Amino acid sequence: MENPIWSNGIFMKKRKKENIFTILKQVPIFSDLSDRELVEIEKILHKRKYKEGEPVIRKGDPGLGMYIIVKGSVDIIDKEKKASQKTLASLHDGSFFGDMALLDESPRSASAVATIDSEIIGFFRPDFLDLIYRKPKLGIKILLALAKVLGERLRRTNELLIQLQEEKETASNG
Amino acid sequence: MDSYTFQLYSQMLKTFWRIFLIVIVVIAAVVLFPYVKEVLVMFIISGLLSVLLSPLVDFLESRGFKRGLAILLVMLLIFALLGLSFWMIIPRIIHSVEALIAKLQSGVISGLNQKVENFFDKYFHNPDFARNVVARLNLLGVQLLGSLEGLLKSVGSFLASVVIIPVVTFFLIKDARRFKKTFISRVPNQYFEFTLNIIHKTGTQVTKYIQGQAIDALIVGVLSIIGLFIINSYFHGPIPHFVLIGSLAGLANIIPYIGPIAGAIPALVLAILNNPPELGLVLLWIVILFIVVQAIDNALISPLVVSKSVNMHPLTVIVAVIVGGKIAGALGMLLAVPFTGVAKVIFSQVSWGLRSYRISAPSKPEEHTSLKTASK
Repeated sequence: MENPIWSNGIFMKKRKKENIFTILKQVPIFSDLSDRELVEIEKILHKRKYKEGEPVIRKGDPGLGMYIIVKGSVDIIDKEKKASQKTLASLHDGSFFGDMALLDESPRSASAVATIDSEIIGFFRPDFLDLIYRKPKLGIKILLALAKVLGERLRRTNELLIQLQEEKETASNG
Repeated sequence: MDSYTFQLYSQMLKTFWRIFLIVIVVIAAVVLFPYVKEVLVMFIISGLLSVLLSPLVDFLESRGFKRGLAILLVMLLIFALLGLSFWMIIPRIIHSVEALIAKLQSGVISGLNQKVENFFDKYFHNPDFARNVVARLNLLGVQLLGSLEGLLKSVGSFLASVVIIPVVTFFLIKDARRFKKTFISRVPNQYFEFTLNIIHKTGTQVTKYIQGQAIDALIVGVLSIIGLFIINSYFHGPIPHFVLIGSLAGLANIIPYIGPIAGAIPALVLAILNNPPELGLVLLWIVILFIVVQAIDNALISPLVVSKSVNMHPLTVIVAVIVGGKIAGALGMLLAVPFTGVAKVIFSQVSWGLRSYRISAPSKPEEHTSLKTASK
Protein backbone atom coordinates (compact mmCIF):
# COMPACT_ATOMS: atom_id res chain seq x y z
CA MET A 1 0.00 0.00 0.00
CA GLU A 2 1.22 3.50 -0.85
CA ASN A 3 2.34 5.66 2.08
CA PRO A 4 -0.20 8.55 2.38
CA ILE A 5 2.55 11.02 3.35
CA TRP A 6 4.67 10.25 0.30
CA SER A 7 1.75 10.09 -2.04
CA ASN A 8 0.64 13.65 -1.26
CA GLY A 9 0.94 16.31 -3.98
CA ILE A 10 4.23 18.01 -3.04
CA PHE A 11 6.23 14.81 -2.45
CA MET A 12 4.81 13.15 -5.56
CA LYS A 13 5.76 16.20 -7.61
CA LYS A 14 9.29 16.15 -6.15
CA ARG A 15 9.64 12.44 -6.89
CA LYS A 16 8.42 12.93 -10.48
CA LYS A 17 10.93 15.77 -10.91
CA GLU A 18 13.77 13.58 -9.59
CA ASN A 19 12.69 10.88 -12.03
CA ILE A 20 12.84 13.34 -14.92
CA PHE A 21 16.29 14.53 -13.74
CA THR A 22 17.52 10.92 -13.72
CA ILE A 23 16.24 10.45 -17.27
CA LEU A 24 17.73 13.76 -18.42
CA LYS A 25 21.15 12.83 -17.01
CA GLN A 26 21.15 9.76 -19.30
CA VAL A 27 20.82 12.02 -22.37
CA PRO A 28 24.30 13.05 -23.59
CA ILE A 29 23.37 16.70 -24.24
CA PHE A 30 22.19 17.14 -20.63
CA SER A 31 24.59 14.76 -18.86
CA ASP A 32 27.09 17.49 -17.85
CA LEU A 33 24.47 19.83 -16.38
CA SER A 34 24.15 20.54 -12.66
CA ASP A 35 20.86 20.01 -10.80
CA ARG A 36 20.32 23.77 -10.80
CA GLU A 37 20.74 23.89 -14.57
CA LEU A 38 18.44 20.90 -14.99
CA VAL A 39 15.74 22.84 -13.12
CA GLU A 40 15.96 25.50 -15.86
CA ILE A 41 15.72 22.80 -18.54
CA GLU A 42 12.78 21.15 -16.80
CA LYS A 43 10.87 24.45 -17.02
CA ILE A 44 10.93 24.40 -20.84
CA LEU A 45 10.26 20.70 -21.40
CA HIS A 46 6.89 19.47 -22.63
CA LYS A 47 5.57 16.27 -21.07
CA ARG A 48 3.31 14.22 -23.35
CA LYS A 49 1.49 10.90 -23.13
CA TYR A 50 1.07 8.70 -26.22
CA LYS A 51 -1.21 5.73 -26.61
CA GLU A 52 -0.09 2.47 -28.20
CA GLY A 53 0.15 2.92 -31.99
CA GLU A 54 -0.01 6.71 -31.83
CA PRO A 55 2.48 8.60 -34.03
CA VAL A 56 4.90 10.89 -32.19
CA ILE A 57 6.45 12.43 -35.30
CA ARG A 58 5.75 11.90 -38.99
CA LYS A 59 8.30 11.66 -41.79
CA GLY A 60 8.31 14.85 -43.86
CA ASP A 61 6.92 17.16 -41.15
CA PRO A 62 9.09 20.20 -40.31
CA GLY A 63 11.58 19.25 -37.59
CA LEU A 64 10.91 21.05 -34.32
CA GLY A 65 12.94 19.35 -31.63
CA MET A 66 13.93 16.18 -29.82
CA TYR A 67 11.98 13.66 -27.74
CA ILE A 68 13.18 11.67 -24.72
CA ILE A 69 11.34 8.52 -23.64
CA VAL A 70 10.61 8.63 -19.91
CA LYS A 71 8.57 5.44 -19.86
CA GLY A 72 7.48 3.20 -22.71
CA SER A 73 8.72 2.27 -26.15
CA VAL A 74 8.91 3.94 -29.55
CA ASP A 75 9.65 2.49 -32.99
CA ILE A 76 11.44 4.62 -35.56
CA ILE A 77 9.99 3.68 -38.90
CA ASP A 78 10.70 4.64 -42.48
CA LYS A 79 7.25 4.90 -43.95
CA GLU A 80 7.26 5.86 -47.62
CA LYS A 81 4.23 3.78 -48.56
CA LYS A 82 1.84 1.80 -46.40
CA ALA A 83 3.07 -1.46 -47.89
CA SER A 84 6.80 -0.82 -47.49
CA GLN A 85 7.23 0.14 -43.84
CA LYS A 86 10.61 -0.57 -42.32
CA THR A 87 11.41 -0.43 -38.60
CA LEU A 88 14.77 1.29 -38.25
CA ALA A 89 15.09 1.14 -34.46
CA SER A 90 13.17 0.32 -31.28
CA LEU A 91 13.79 2.77 -28.47
CA HIS A 92 13.02 2.40 -24.75
CA ASP A 93 13.20 4.31 -21.43
CA GLY A 94 15.93 6.99 -21.46
CA SER A 95 16.44 6.87 -25.25
CA PHE A 96 16.09 9.99 -27.35
CA PHE A 97 15.37 10.84 -31.00
CA GLY A 98 14.93 13.84 -33.29
CA ASP A 99 17.93 15.75 -31.87
CA MET A 100 18.97 17.02 -35.33
CA ALA A 101 15.79 19.14 -35.35
CA LEU A 102 17.26 21.23 -32.53
CA LEU A 103 19.49 22.83 -35.16
CA ASP A 104 17.24 23.38 -38.17
CA GLU A 105 13.74 22.92 -39.55
CA SER A 106 14.60 20.27 -42.18
CA PRO A 107 11.80 17.72 -42.69
CA ARG A 108 11.85 14.69 -40.37
CA SER A 109 13.77 11.82 -41.99
CA ALA A 110 11.63 9.08 -40.36
CA SER A 111 8.43 8.60 -38.41
CA ALA A 112 8.21 7.59 -34.74
CA VAL A 113 5.32 5.59 -33.33
CA ALA A 114 4.64 4.61 -29.71
CA THR A 115 4.50 0.80 -29.52
CA ILE A 116 3.03 0.78 -26.00
CA ASP A 117 1.42 3.52 -23.89
CA SER A 118 4.37 5.89 -23.35
CA GLU A 119 5.41 9.00 -21.45
CA ILE A 120 7.67 11.18 -23.54
CA ILE A 121 9.25 14.58 -22.94
CA GLY A 122 9.95 17.02 -25.74
CA PHE A 123 12.74 19.60 -25.92
CA PHE A 124 12.11 22.02 -28.78
CA ARG A 125 14.15 24.42 -30.88
CA PRO A 126 12.12 27.61 -30.14
CA ASP A 127 12.55 27.07 -26.38
CA PHE A 128 16.22 26.12 -26.87
CA LEU A 129 16.92 29.32 -28.90
CA ASP A 130 15.13 31.36 -26.25
CA LEU A 131 17.24 29.67 -23.56
CA ILE A 132 20.46 30.47 -25.46
CA TYR A 133 19.42 34.15 -25.51
CA ARG A 134 18.32 34.32 -21.86
CA LYS A 135 20.91 31.99 -20.27
CA PRO A 136 23.87 32.05 -22.67
CA LYS A 137 26.20 30.00 -20.41
CA LEU A 138 23.70 27.16 -20.11
CA GLY A 139 22.75 27.40 -23.78
CA ILE A 140 26.37 27.14 -24.91
CA LYS A 141 26.92 24.12 -22.64
CA ILE A 142 24.02 22.29 -24.33
CA LEU A 143 25.06 23.46 -27.79
CA LEU A 144 28.59 22.13 -27.23
CA ALA A 145 27.26 18.79 -26.01
CA LEU A 146 24.96 18.62 -29.05
CA ALA A 147 27.91 19.37 -31.34
CA LYS A 148 29.86 16.52 -29.64
CA VAL A 149 26.98 14.08 -30.23
CA LEU A 150 26.65 15.10 -33.88
CA GLY A 151 30.44 15.04 -34.35
CA GLU A 152 30.60 11.53 -32.92
CA ARG A 153 27.79 10.45 -35.24
CA LEU A 154 29.60 11.98 -38.24
CA ARG A 155 32.82 10.18 -37.29
CA ARG A 156 30.95 6.88 -37.10
CA THR A 157 29.27 7.56 -40.48
CA ASN A 158 32.69 8.29 -42.01
CA GLU A 159 34.08 5.03 -40.62
CA LEU A 160 31.11 3.11 -42.04
CA LEU A 161 31.54 4.84 -45.39
CA ILE A 162 35.25 3.92 -45.53
CA GLN A 163 34.41 0.36 -44.52
CA LEU A 164 31.77 0.16 -47.28
CA GLN A 165 34.19 1.56 -49.86
CA GLU A 166 36.85 -0.98 -48.83
CA GLU A 167 34.31 -3.80 -49.09
CA LYS A 168 33.26 -2.56 -52.53
CA GLU A 169 36.88 -2.37 -53.69
CA THR A 170 37.61 -5.87 -52.34
CA ALA A 171 34.51 -7.21 -54.10
CA SER A 172 35.45 -5.59 -57.41
CA ASN A 173 39.12 -6.84 -57.17
CA GLY A 174 38.22 -10.34 -56.14
CA MET B 1 -23.87 0.49 -38.44
CA ASP B 2 -20.18 -0.41 -39.01
CA SER B 3 -17.46 1.15 -36.89
CA TYR B 4 -16.32 3.63 -39.57
CA THR B 5 -19.89 4.98 -40.14
CA PHE B 6 -20.28 5.27 -36.38
CA GLN B 7 -17.01 7.23 -36.13
CA LEU B 8 -18.06 9.47 -39.04
CA TYR B 9 -21.41 10.12 -37.35
CA SER B 10 -19.76 11.04 -34.04
CA GLN B 11 -17.29 13.25 -35.93
CA MET B 12 -20.19 15.11 -37.58
CA LEU B 13 -21.85 15.53 -34.20
CA LYS B 14 -18.60 16.91 -32.77
CA THR B 15 -18.26 19.36 -35.70
CA PHE B 16 -21.85 20.50 -35.16
CA TRP B 17 -21.19 21.19 -31.46
CA ARG B 18 -17.97 23.03 -32.33
CA ILE B 19 -19.79 25.31 -34.83
CA PHE B 20 -22.60 25.83 -32.32
CA LEU B 21 -20.05 26.79 -29.63
CA ILE B 22 -18.28 29.21 -32.00
CA VAL B 23 -21.61 30.88 -32.87
CA ILE B 24 -22.44 31.23 -29.14
CA VAL B 25 -18.98 32.68 -28.42
CA VAL B 26 -19.28 35.18 -31.31
CA ILE B 27 -22.78 36.28 -30.16
CA ALA B 28 -21.56 36.58 -26.55
CA ALA B 29 -18.52 38.59 -27.71
CA VAL B 30 -20.74 41.01 -29.69
CA VAL B 31 -23.21 41.41 -26.80
CA LEU B 32 -20.54 41.77 -24.11
CA PHE B 33 -18.13 43.93 -26.13
CA PRO B 34 -19.45 47.35 -24.99
CA TYR B 35 -19.12 46.27 -21.33
CA VAL B 36 -15.63 44.81 -21.59
CA LYS B 37 -14.23 47.32 -24.09
CA GLU B 38 -12.20 49.26 -21.52
CA VAL B 39 -10.81 46.11 -19.91
CA LEU B 40 -9.96 44.79 -23.37
CA VAL B 41 -8.13 48.01 -24.26
CA MET B 42 -6.18 47.73 -20.97
CA PHE B 43 -5.18 44.16 -21.82
CA ILE B 44 -4.15 45.19 -25.34
CA ILE B 45 -2.00 47.99 -23.91
CA SER B 46 -0.48 45.57 -21.37
CA GLY B 47 0.19 43.10 -24.19
CA LEU B 48 1.89 45.78 -26.27
CA LEU B 49 3.95 46.90 -23.27
CA SER B 50 4.99 43.32 -22.49
CA VAL B 51 6.13 42.84 -26.12
CA LEU B 52 8.07 46.12 -26.03
CA LEU B 53 9.68 45.50 -22.63
CA SER B 54 10.52 41.80 -23.07
CA PRO B 55 13.82 42.36 -24.95
CA LEU B 56 15.11 44.57 -22.11
CA VAL B 57 14.04 42.00 -19.52
CA ASP B 58 15.66 39.17 -21.51
CA PHE B 59 18.85 41.23 -21.79
CA LEU B 60 19.01 41.79 -18.02
CA GLU B 61 18.27 38.09 -17.46
CA SER B 62 21.14 37.15 -19.77
CA ARG B 63 23.37 39.33 -17.53
CA GLY B 64 22.51 37.21 -14.52
CA PHE B 65 19.47 39.01 -13.06
CA LYS B 66 16.52 36.91 -11.84
CA ARG B 67 13.59 37.30 -14.27
CA GLY B 68 11.21 38.78 -11.68
CA LEU B 69 13.80 41.36 -10.56
CA ALA B 70 14.67 42.21 -14.19
CA ILE B 71 10.98 42.88 -14.96
CA LEU B 72 10.62 45.05 -11.85
CA LEU B 73 13.70 47.09 -12.74
CA VAL B 74 12.64 47.66 -16.35
CA MET B 75 9.08 48.51 -15.37
CA LEU B 76 10.20 50.90 -12.66
CA LEU B 77 12.39 52.71 -15.17
CA ILE B 78 9.72 52.86 -17.87
CA PHE B 79 6.90 53.90 -15.55
CA ALA B 80 9.09 56.53 -13.88
CA LEU B 81 9.80 58.01 -17.32
CA LEU B 82 6.14 57.72 -18.39
CA GLY B 83 4.90 59.13 -15.07
CA LEU B 84 7.27 62.06 -15.32
CA SER B 85 6.28 62.85 -18.89
CA PHE B 86 2.56 62.49 -18.12
CA TRP B 87 2.91 64.69 -15.06
CA MET B 88 4.84 67.34 -16.94
CA ILE B 89 3.48 67.23 -20.47
CA ILE B 90 -0.06 65.80 -20.65
CA PRO B 91 -1.82 68.54 -18.58
CA ARG B 92 -0.14 71.20 -20.72
CA ILE B 93 -1.10 69.42 -23.92
CA ILE B 94 -4.74 69.07 -22.80
CA HIS B 95 -4.70 72.75 -21.88
CA SER B 96 -3.34 73.78 -25.28
CA VAL B 97 -5.81 71.57 -27.15
CA GLU B 98 -8.67 73.12 -25.15
CA ALA B 99 -7.30 76.58 -25.94
CA LEU B 100 -7.19 75.69 -29.63
CA ILE B 101 -10.80 74.48 -29.60
CA ALA B 102 -11.85 77.68 -27.89
CA LYS B 103 -9.91 79.64 -30.52
CA LEU B 104 -11.65 77.78 -33.35
CA GLN B 105 -15.09 78.27 -31.80
CA SER B 106 -14.67 81.90 -30.69
CA GLY B 107 -14.37 83.27 -34.21
CA VAL B 108 -10.78 84.47 -33.83
CA ILE B 109 -10.22 82.94 -37.22
CA SER B 110 -13.25 84.63 -38.74
CA GLY B 111 -10.81 86.94 -40.53
CA LEU B 112 -9.31 83.89 -42.16
CA ASN B 113 -12.79 82.65 -43.05
CA GLN B 114 -13.56 86.03 -44.60
CA LYS B 115 -10.40 85.75 -46.72
CA VAL B 116 -11.46 82.32 -48.02
CA GLU B 117 -14.99 83.58 -48.72
CA ASN B 118 -13.62 86.60 -50.61
CA PHE B 119 -11.31 84.32 -52.58
CA PHE B 120 -14.23 82.11 -53.72
CA ASP B 121 -16.44 85.13 -54.37
CA LYS B 122 -13.77 86.81 -56.50
CA TYR B 123 -12.70 83.83 -58.60
CA PHE B 124 -15.77 81.57 -58.62
CA HIS B 125 -18.60 84.10 -57.93
CA ASN B 126 -20.12 81.72 -55.40
CA PRO B 127 -20.02 83.07 -51.80
CA ASP B 128 -22.58 80.48 -50.56
CA PHE B 129 -20.37 77.62 -51.59
CA ALA B 130 -17.40 79.31 -49.87
CA ARG B 131 -19.42 79.78 -46.67
CA ASN B 132 -20.46 76.16 -46.80
CA VAL B 133 -16.87 74.97 -47.25
CA VAL B 134 -15.58 77.18 -44.43
CA ALA B 135 -18.34 76.05 -42.06
CA ARG B 136 -17.56 72.39 -42.82
CA LEU B 137 -13.83 72.92 -42.36
CA ASN B 138 -14.41 74.62 -39.01
CA LEU B 139 -16.68 71.81 -37.86
CA LEU B 140 -14.12 69.21 -38.96
CA GLY B 141 -11.35 71.04 -37.08
CA VAL B 142 -13.40 71.20 -33.88
CA GLN B 143 -14.35 67.51 -34.20
CA LEU B 144 -10.76 66.42 -34.82
CA LEU B 145 -9.42 68.40 -31.89
CA GLY B 146 -12.33 67.19 -29.77
CA SER B 147 -11.43 63.56 -30.44
CA LEU B 148 -7.76 64.36 -29.72
CA GLU B 149 -8.77 65.88 -26.41
CA GLY B 150 -10.89 62.80 -25.70
CA LEU B 151 -7.93 60.56 -26.49
CA LEU B 152 -5.62 62.53 -24.20
CA LYS B 153 -8.18 62.53 -21.41
CA SER B 154 -8.69 58.79 -21.85
CA VAL B 155 -4.90 58.45 -21.46
CA GLY B 156 -5.40 60.37 -18.24
CA SER B 157 -8.10 57.93 -17.14
CA PHE B 158 -5.61 55.11 -17.78
CA LEU B 159 -3.39 56.83 -15.27
CA ALA B 160 -6.19 56.33 -12.76
CA SER B 161 -6.00 52.61 -13.45
CA VAL B 162 -2.23 52.78 -13.23
CA VAL B 163 -2.25 49.78 -10.91
CA ILE B 164 -3.94 47.41 -13.35
CA ILE B 165 -1.76 47.85 -16.43
CA PRO B 166 1.60 47.37 -14.65
CA VAL B 167 0.33 44.31 -12.78
CA VAL B 168 -1.04 42.68 -15.96
CA THR B 169 2.15 43.61 -17.86
CA PHE B 170 4.34 42.14 -15.08
CA PHE B 171 2.56 38.78 -15.19
CA LEU B 172 2.40 38.75 -18.99
CA ILE B 173 6.20 39.10 -19.17
CA LYS B 174 6.95 36.83 -16.22
CA ASP B 175 4.59 33.97 -16.98
CA ALA B 176 4.17 34.15 -20.78
CA ARG B 177 6.13 30.91 -21.16
CA ARG B 178 4.07 29.18 -18.48
CA PHE B 179 0.78 30.32 -20.10
CA LYS B 180 2.04 29.02 -23.45
CA LYS B 181 3.14 25.70 -21.92
CA THR B 182 -0.19 25.21 -20.13
CA PHE B 183 -2.10 25.96 -23.33
CA ILE B 184 0.05 23.60 -25.41
CA SER B 185 -0.26 20.81 -22.84
CA ARG B 186 -3.99 20.72 -23.62
CA VAL B 187 -3.51 20.35 -27.37
CA PRO B 188 -4.05 16.79 -28.72
CA ASN B 189 -0.88 14.95 -29.78
CA GLN B 190 -1.90 15.09 -33.45
CA TYR B 191 -1.75 18.90 -33.50
CA PHE B 192 0.93 19.40 -30.82
CA GLU B 193 4.02 20.15 -32.96
CA PHE B 194 1.92 22.18 -35.41
CA THR B 195 0.54 24.36 -32.58
CA LEU B 196 3.92 24.80 -30.91
CA ASN B 197 5.56 25.81 -34.19
CA ILE B 198 2.76 28.21 -35.17
CA ILE B 199 2.76 29.88 -31.74
CA HIS B 200 6.53 30.31 -31.93
CA LYS B 201 6.61 31.65 -35.50
CA THR B 202 3.61 33.93 -34.99
CA GLY B 203 5.02 35.20 -31.67
CA THR B 204 8.39 36.00 -33.24
CA GLN B 205 6.90 37.85 -36.20
CA VAL B 206 4.31 39.74 -34.18
CA THR B 207 6.98 40.79 -31.66
CA LYS B 208 9.29 41.98 -34.47
CA TYR B 209 6.40 43.84 -36.12
CA ILE B 210 5.28 45.64 -32.94
CA GLN B 211 8.84 46.50 -31.88
CA GLY B 212 9.62 47.69 -35.42
CA GLN B 213 6.52 49.90 -35.50
CA ALA B 214 7.39 51.39 -32.10
CA ILE B 215 11.00 52.14 -33.11
CA ASP B 216 9.80 53.58 -36.44
CA ALA B 217 7.24 55.82 -34.72
CA LEU B 218 9.87 56.96 -32.20
CA ILE B 219 12.43 57.88 -34.88
CA VAL B 220 9.85 59.65 -37.11
CA GLY B 221 8.55 61.51 -34.03
CA VAL B 222 12.04 62.66 -33.00
CA LEU B 223 12.95 63.70 -36.57
CA SER B 224 9.70 65.69 -36.89
CA ILE B 225 10.29 67.41 -33.54
CA ILE B 226 13.86 68.34 -34.56
CA GLY B 227 12.64 69.64 -37.96
CA LEU B 228 9.81 71.67 -36.43
CA PHE B 229 12.22 73.04 -33.81
CA ILE B 230 14.56 74.25 -36.60
CA ILE B 231 11.64 75.88 -38.49
CA ASN B 232 10.50 77.50 -35.25
CA SER B 233 13.98 78.83 -34.50
CA TYR B 234 14.40 80.24 -38.03
CA PHE B 235 10.96 81.87 -38.35
CA HIS B 236 10.62 82.94 -34.66
CA GLY B 237 8.16 80.33 -33.42
CA PRO B 238 5.29 80.07 -35.91
CA ILE B 239 4.36 76.53 -34.75
CA PRO B 240 3.36 76.34 -31.08
CA HIS B 241 3.39 72.96 -29.24
CA PHE B 242 5.82 71.52 -31.78
CA VAL B 243 6.75 68.64 -29.41
CA LEU B 244 3.10 67.53 -29.38
CA ILE B 245 2.82 67.95 -33.17
CA GLY B 246 6.02 65.95 -33.75
CA SER B 247 4.91 63.20 -31.35
CA LEU B 248 1.53 63.00 -33.11
CA ALA B 249 3.31 62.71 -36.47
CA GLY B 250 5.34 59.80 -35.05
CA LEU B 251 2.21 58.10 -33.72
CA ALA B 252 0.25 58.70 -36.94
CA ASN B 253 3.10 57.10 -38.88
CA ILE B 254 1.90 53.74 -37.53
CA ILE B 255 -0.96 54.03 -40.06
CA PRO B 256 0.58 53.60 -43.52
CA TYR B 257 -0.47 55.84 -46.44
CA ILE B 258 -2.87 57.96 -44.32
CA GLY B 259 -0.59 58.53 -41.30
CA PRO B 260 2.15 60.63 -42.91
CA ILE B 261 -0.42 63.08 -44.35
CA ALA B 262 -2.44 63.15 -41.11
CA GLY B 263 0.81 63.84 -39.23
CA ALA B 264 1.56 66.97 -41.29
CA ILE B 265 -1.93 68.50 -41.08
CA PRO B 266 -1.80 69.67 -37.41
CA ALA B 267 1.49 71.53 -38.04
CA LEU B 268 0.02 73.27 -41.11
CA VAL B 269 -3.24 74.15 -39.31
CA LEU B 270 -1.36 75.56 -36.29
CA ALA B 271 0.90 77.63 -38.52
CA ILE B 272 -2.16 79.03 -40.40
CA LEU B 273 -3.90 79.82 -37.10
CA ASN B 274 -0.80 81.56 -35.82
CA ASN B 275 -0.65 83.55 -39.08
CA PRO B 276 3.08 84.53 -39.01
CA PRO B 277 4.42 87.24 -41.38
CA GLU B 278 5.99 84.72 -43.81
CA LEU B 279 3.09 82.24 -43.73
CA GLY B 280 3.61 80.92 -47.27
CA LEU B 281 7.28 80.17 -46.66
CA VAL B 282 6.57 78.53 -43.28
CA LEU B 283 3.92 76.28 -44.85
CA LEU B 284 6.31 75.35 -47.64
CA TRP B 285 9.04 74.43 -45.14
CA ILE B 286 6.59 72.33 -43.09
CA VAL B 287 5.57 70.42 -46.24
CA ILE B 288 9.25 69.96 -47.21
CA LEU B 289 10.08 68.79 -43.66
CA PHE B 290 7.38 66.09 -43.67
CA ILE B 291 8.31 64.95 -47.18
CA VAL B 292 11.98 64.66 -46.14
CA VAL B 293 11.07 62.79 -42.93
CA GLN B 294 8.89 60.41 -44.98
CA ALA B 295 11.66 59.91 -47.52
CA ILE B 296 14.16 59.08 -44.73
CA ASP B 297 11.57 56.77 -43.14
CA ASN B 298 10.80 54.94 -46.39
CA ALA B 299 14.39 54.68 -47.56
CA LEU B 300 16.28 54.05 -44.32
CA ILE B 301 14.20 53.38 -41.21
CA SER B 302 11.26 51.23 -42.36
CA PRO B 303 13.32 48.72 -44.38
CA LEU B 304 15.54 48.16 -41.35
CA VAL B 305 13.08 47.99 -38.50
CA VAL B 306 9.61 47.12 -39.83
CA SER B 307 8.90 43.52 -40.79
CA LYS B 308 8.35 43.12 -44.54
CA SER B 309 5.93 40.23 -44.05
CA VAL B 310 3.22 42.64 -42.92
CA ASN B 311 2.93 44.72 -46.09
CA MET B 312 -0.70 45.72 -46.46
CA HIS B 313 -2.78 46.82 -49.42
CA PRO B 314 -3.91 50.49 -49.16
CA LEU B 315 -7.55 49.38 -49.27
CA THR B 316 -6.97 47.00 -46.32
CA VAL B 317 -5.44 49.88 -44.36
CA ILE B 318 -8.38 52.23 -45.10
CA VAL B 319 -11.00 49.61 -44.15
CA ALA B 320 -9.05 48.70 -40.98
CA VAL B 321 -8.79 52.35 -39.92
CA ILE B 322 -12.50 52.98 -40.51
CA VAL B 323 -13.54 49.85 -38.58
CA GLY B 324 -11.04 50.65 -35.78
CA GLY B 325 -12.42 54.18 -35.53
CA LYS B 326 -16.00 52.88 -35.32
CA ILE B 327 -15.10 50.41 -32.57
CA ALA B 328 -12.80 52.42 -30.31
CA GLY B 329 -12.52 55.98 -31.64
CA ALA B 330 -9.11 57.62 -32.12
CA LEU B 331 -7.30 54.87 -30.19
CA GLY B 332 -9.06 52.28 -32.36
CA MET B 333 -7.86 54.05 -35.52
CA LEU B 334 -4.31 53.97 -34.21
CA LEU B 335 -4.43 50.33 -33.12
CA ALA B 336 -6.34 49.11 -36.21
CA VAL B 337 -3.33 48.72 -38.49
CA PRO B 338 -1.07 46.88 -35.98
CA PHE B 339 -4.06 44.70 -35.10
CA THR B 340 -4.68 43.87 -38.78
CA GLY B 341 -0.95 43.25 -39.20
CA VAL B 342 -1.01 40.76 -36.33
CA ALA B 343 -4.09 39.04 -37.82
CA LYS B 344 -2.32 38.81 -41.18
CA VAL B 345 0.77 37.22 -39.60
CA ILE B 346 -1.38 34.69 -37.71
CA PHE B 347 -3.34 33.81 -40.86
CA SER B 348 -0.24 33.35 -43.04
CA GLN B 349 1.53 31.26 -40.38
CA VAL B 350 -1.50 29.02 -39.78
CA SER B 351 -1.89 28.40 -43.52
CA TRP B 352 1.87 27.61 -43.73
CA GLY B 353 1.48 25.16 -40.84
CA LEU B 354 -1.57 23.45 -42.34
CA ARG B 355 0.35 22.89 -45.58
CA SER B 356 3.64 21.80 -43.95
CA TYR B 357 2.08 19.45 -41.40
CA ARG B 358 -0.44 18.13 -43.95
CA ILE B 359 -3.29 18.63 -41.50
CA SER B 360 -6.70 17.68 -42.85
CA ALA B 361 -9.69 15.72 -41.62
CA PRO B 362 -9.04 13.00 -38.99
CA SER B 363 -7.52 9.91 -40.57
CA LYS B 364 -9.52 6.74 -41.13
CA PRO B 365 -9.04 4.02 -38.50
CA GLU B 366 -7.20 1.70 -40.96
CA GLU B 367 -4.20 4.03 -41.01
CA HIS B 368 -3.71 3.72 -37.25
CA THR B 369 -4.10 -0.03 -37.52
CA SER B 370 -1.40 -0.18 -40.16
CA LEU B 371 0.90 1.90 -37.98
CA LYS B 372 0.22 -0.36 -35.05
CA THR B 373 1.01 -3.43 -37.11
CA ALA B 374 4.18 -1.82 -38.41
CA SER B 375 5.38 -0.86 -34.97
CA LYS B 376 4.99 -4.33 -33.55
